[in-house]
Amino acid sequence: MNLPIPFIVLLAVLSLAGTGFYCLLFTRNLIKVVVALQLIVKGVVLAFVLAGHLVQNVSLAQTMAITVIVADTIVAVIGLALAVQIRLHTGSLDLKELSNLKR
Amino acid sequence: MWYVLISVGILACAILAISAKRLLISAIWLAVTSALVALMLFLLGAPQIAVIELSVGAGLVTVLFVFAINISGEEVMGLRSALPLPLVWTSIVLAAGLVIFFIVRSLGFVQFPDVSGGFGAGVLWQERYLDFLLQVVLILAGVLGVIGLLTHSKDAHIAEDKA
Amino acid sequence: MITILIACSIGLPWIGALLVWLIGDKREKAQHWLSILFSVAAGAAAVIMLWHTSGEAGLTLKMGGVFGDFTFIPDGLGVFLSVIATVIGSLAVIFSTSYMKGETQLGRYYAFVLFFIGAMVGLVLTSNIMLMFFFWEITALCSYALIAFHNDDPKAVKGGVKALIITSIGGVGLLLGALILYAYTGSFDIRVFIAAPSAVPAGMLAVLAFGFLIAAAAKSAQFPFQTWLPDAMEAPSPISALIHAATMVNAGVYLLARFYPAFKDVLYWREAVMIVGMLSALLAAIMALTSTDLKRVLAYSTVSQLGYMVYAVGAGGVFASQFHLFSHSIFKALLFLAAGAVIHSVGTRDMTKMGGVGKHMPFVKWVFIIGALALAGIPILNGFWSKEVVLEAGLAGGPSWIYGIMVLVAGMTALYTIRCVWLVFFGEARSDYHAHKVELAMKVALAPLALGALVSWLAVGPFSKILGKASLPQHHIKSLSIPELIHEVLKLPTLIALVAIAIGVIFWLLRSKLEGFVEGLKSFQWAADHSFGFEAVNSAVVRMTNSLAETLRNTQTGLLNWNVLGILAALIILVAAITLGA
Repeated sequence: MNLPIPFIVLLAVLSLAGTGFYCLLFTRNLIKVVVALQLIVKGVVLAFVLAGHLVQNVSLAQTMAITVIVADTIVAVIGLALAVQIRLHTGSLDLKELSNLKR
Repeated sequence: MWYVLISVGILACAILAISAKRLLISAIWLAVTSALVALMLFLLGAPQIAVIELSVGAGLVTVLFVFAINISGEEVMGLRSALPLPLVWTSIVLAAGLVIFFIVRSLGFVQFPDVSGGFGAGVLWQERYLDFLLQVVLILAGVLGVIGLLTHSKDAHIAEDKA
Repeated sequence: MITILIACSIGLPWIGALLVWLIGDKREKAQHWLSILFSVAAGAAAVIMLWHTSGEAGLTLKMGGVFGDFTFIPDGLGVFLSVIATVIGSLAVIFSTSYMKGETQLGRYYAFVLFFIGAMVGLVLTSNIMLMFFFWEITALCSYALIAFHNDDPKAVKGGVKALIITSIGGVGLLLGALILYAYTGSFDIRVFIAAPSAVPAGMLAVLAFGFLIAAAAKSAQFPFQTWLPDAMEAPSPISALIHAATMVNAGVYLLARFYPAFKDVLYWREAVMIVGMLSALLAAIMALTSTDLKRVLAYSTVSQLGYMVYAVGAGGVFASQFHLFSHSIFKALLFLAAGAVIHSVGTRDMTKMGGVGKHMPFVKWVFIIGALALAGIPILNGFWSKEVVLEAGLAGGPSWIYGIMVLVAGMTALYTIRCVWLVFFGEARSDYHAHKVELAMKVALAPLALGALVSWLAVGPFSKILGKASLPQHHIKSLSIPELIHEVLKLPTLIALVAIAIGVIFWLLRSKLEGFVEGLKSFQWAADHSFGFEAVNSAVVRMTNSLAETLRNTQTGLLNWNVLGILAALIILVAAITLGA
């Protein structure tokens, strides 16, 4: 286990982002989509702080990370509110049934 | 040593979060992932962000998930794909291959300085002032959006009752 | 002091817009009075600023290192245009209280009008080019929203969308210029650039200059973008007076005048500007001669007069163009509001159905005649003085064949103006209409404008002084007093122009004897009615865009998984490209 630490953190970032993307590619449930987005954003925050640590400007990285966390929380809030409304109005959360764009 | 453990933990919890059959279990695993990420952020020398990540990720978002799942009811759905499988798997393999290629290429070029950073409030208020305004606008938009979404249901129900 | 004034003239209309919208459409009277209150207050703030012009920044909002500061400078050019925007804005709002009485959704109307006034003032006062682009697009948005105000009328919606698309294409030119400016001078502040245009290398400077010319031409409805303004006449008349005669379309001329010292040495830029102005003036005058819709004639005349201003800027007469802008705003707003009064009471816009309106509406007849005389350039009225200054500047700074065509256009202007006045107000009624008298609010709005058309040229001394060295150091504008003005105007070019105007008037009066000549010009009429092929170009562009969009629609499946796959694929391609390139 003598991989340098940045690589271990990088592996954590990639596993988070990768899992999130994998879930987005395969899921059909709207709430799972929000879960996947949350995972990806955690990976992004970790990546920001890692980068800040490597260039020794942690305060700038923290500022950007705060902005990202705020934005992603708002996305989760509105996404869940939308999911609740869609469930109430159409009775289903399945993406395939909901995709009714006219072709 | 700690880093390795936490990394492995993050990977495991993330995989458990997305493969859980019930949505509530998924949300719980998301909270655990959040806690582990917060721990790693703290170890990297960003304590304020760690606290924020913990309280928001493992607190606020989890509570929201529990509310939403309770209101909208459970629907047990596995991970069945809506896309042609071969296409998806080739792109995943390509992406993974590129990532591994990058990691292997830059092995050994990176130093790990020992830095513990403060928050540096000056950065937020002076250099990135526009970011701060952006966050305020986002929060307002989120509040307006939620209010708009949640009050619509009342009128819709009233309209349905009348019809 | 100046900080408060600037904040008031931009902020008061915006606060008013929010309040009028929030009050709701049930309280119509409150909406009318609130709008009048806020627009008049903004007008007062702008007028007081006239005594405080300076070249220094009046209001600075620090936005951090990356985006520069949002500065507002009350220099002569900006303050004069903000006075026009707010004062004519408040007169248009006063007119609207009578014109729009009883309409639904007034909150939307007044909110957009006030929002527009604030944005226009911000546009001319700011010196940060990104902020200027931001305000530019806000005015385009308000213009679209107000043209399509009667959104159940498909013609109005079509006119609004057309205006939005064409002015947005121009906005791309402005954005491109802003980015080039930032890349080469390192800041968004235009004072830095205008003082030292050589910071940008010659090739890029040319791109910048022509990009701004395209943006200005699209906004001011000049050649080749002139088709949106006549179709924007579906808007209510106060909107046509405010946005499409006195303020928004002046933004293009303002842009050219502001950046003139930086671009005047770019190869062929001045010639291009003069030719754009000349072609707009000529084509629009021909189209005004054959049109039968009262507002369309006024719209074409707006394009034509803007052509004069653009021509003056190209020839180096920045003062001449601004002076003509001043007079034009007054008399064109007057004409549009008076036309609005006529259309509101008669019920149609078609001039062939009018005639003899002057017997029923004497007040409107007289103010319209004052405006028409100013437009034609008859002596003593402000249009005469400013047009002659423009022609003199044009002769001094540009080739004389362009000057000749502009004199010809002056004659045509007189001709179509007197045609318009005659067809509407004199003669016998050609159809059964019912005209009622104007109300007080309309008279209150029209009277100051008529007075302005008669006497505004007397302000040339102080006007040229505020545009002078103190506030616009790079433009080299000398101050001009009234005797100097009279002396400068009474020269040979003026006499030639007066002869052309007289010929125009005589043509109309002798029209029955010139039947043969008129028949020969009929072929022109067909071309003019189809706006010389520009409409066809517009329709072709729209058709091609629609078919392309239909073909691309097949990629929109609506399924999230496909979209994520697309993101992943793009990431892979991007990273592979970076890897192979490195």
